[in-house]
Amino acid sequence: MLEFDALVSAHSAAIFAYLWRMLRDSADAEDCLQDTFLRAYRAYGRLKGHTNPRAWLYRIATNVARTRLKQRSREALRTVALAPDLAAAGRGPAEQASHNALLAAVDAAVDALPHHQRAALILRQYQGLDYAQVAAILECSPESARASVYQAMKKLRAAMEAGDWMPDAGSGSKLQSPSSSLQVPLNGVPYVLSRH
Amino acid sequence: MSSHATDPLQTALDALYLPGPGQAATTRAQARLAQVLAAQARPAAEAWYDILPHSAIGAVFVGVTRRGLCAVRFGLSERQFVAALRQETGALPVRSPERAGAAAQQVGEYLAGRRTAFDVPVDLSRMTAFQQQVLLAACQIPRGQVRTYSDLARQIGRPKAARAVGQALGSNPVPIVVPCHRVLAADGSLRGYSGGGGIVTKERLLRLEGVRG
Repeated sequence: MLEFDALVSAHSAAIFAYLWRMLRDSADAEDCLQDTFLRAYRAYGRLKGHTNPRAWLYRIATNVARTRLKQRSREALRTVALAPDLAAAGRGPAEQASHNALLAAVDAAVDALPHHQRAALILRQYQGLDYAQVAAILECSPESARASVYQAMKKLRAAMEAGDWMPDAGSGSKLQSPSSSLQVPLNGVPYVLSRH
Repeated sequence: MSSHATDPLQTALDALYLPGPGQAATTRAQARLAQVLAAQARPAAEAWYDILPHSAIGAVFVGVTRRGLCAVRFGLSERQFVAALRQETGALPVRSPERAGAAAQQVGEYLAGRRTAFDVPVDLSRMTAFQQQVLLAACQIPRGQVRTYSDLARQIGRPKAARAVGQALGSNPVPIVVPCHRVLAADGSLRGYSGGGGIVTKERLLRLEGVRG
């Protein structure tokens, strides 16, 4: 276990950021960070001779996040907090509501992505990794990693263009399904998104 | 990371994901992770000890955990030893010849000149990686031989770290068993000994091993 501490200090911040982006929740990300490194710790003997410990840790984190997301999808409600300064940047109340609705819609659309595509998108665009590195983590070819990101963006764009997120002047939401509702307070944070 | 500043989808994704968890949350998460991993390294906080009352260097105290021998001390009282062992292991030490007697017996035999090598598991789990490396290197020095701090530094592939090697040896929790007394300054002087009793003890141990007349 001599080098395991080095592995923790080298990669825990990036893995935490990745889990936070996958889960969009600090407490969940914290739990999953511990889970990831405990699994890594127990399997560490088998890593000997592994050339890419970062990819190995990201792979474990990806699996841990999938399990957590599955657990969470059974929960009816969850809250999504936006950074107030980010959400409020130079917008009037109406614009703010519209922006929040857009973010909620994109968040929900990301939630609906296949796990592999969601992971590929976040790894490539927000963890600073190239396609070869993403491929090593997701155990696929770089071409396949690129295709996953492309598919993810295509689906998100389609969800956006469906326009469900546009706030209706009267009700505040045009969402049709009776099981889904979107409450967007004018001050921006936090809002509750009911999931179906 | 957005290459399409005007693309509303990319803007929304950036708003959701670009900020990340923030420094405060990251620092907290890393601190809690460190706690969890430390607990993993020390599953059972239990410690036992035994005493050799009349050895060649006076009373010797020996502490063990489930992982193995974790403390060898001399030149202090039982009360002081128990307090130190408690601080190091986080457990309330219990005197147990059953648990710690075997290690104590080996130390006793060694000090009486009836034993040349040790056969006990040693618990170095609270040492840093570098300290462990240095202490394991010291274990390679055979009885009756000595090395310099620079020798050890070279041996672990850190030729410029002779001073840090000296410091790591000074942190040796199990002197005698990990023979840090076999490491001397480049000019052959004893330099220092943290095992208790200072360099007088170091000289005594080396004489016992036939290194010094």
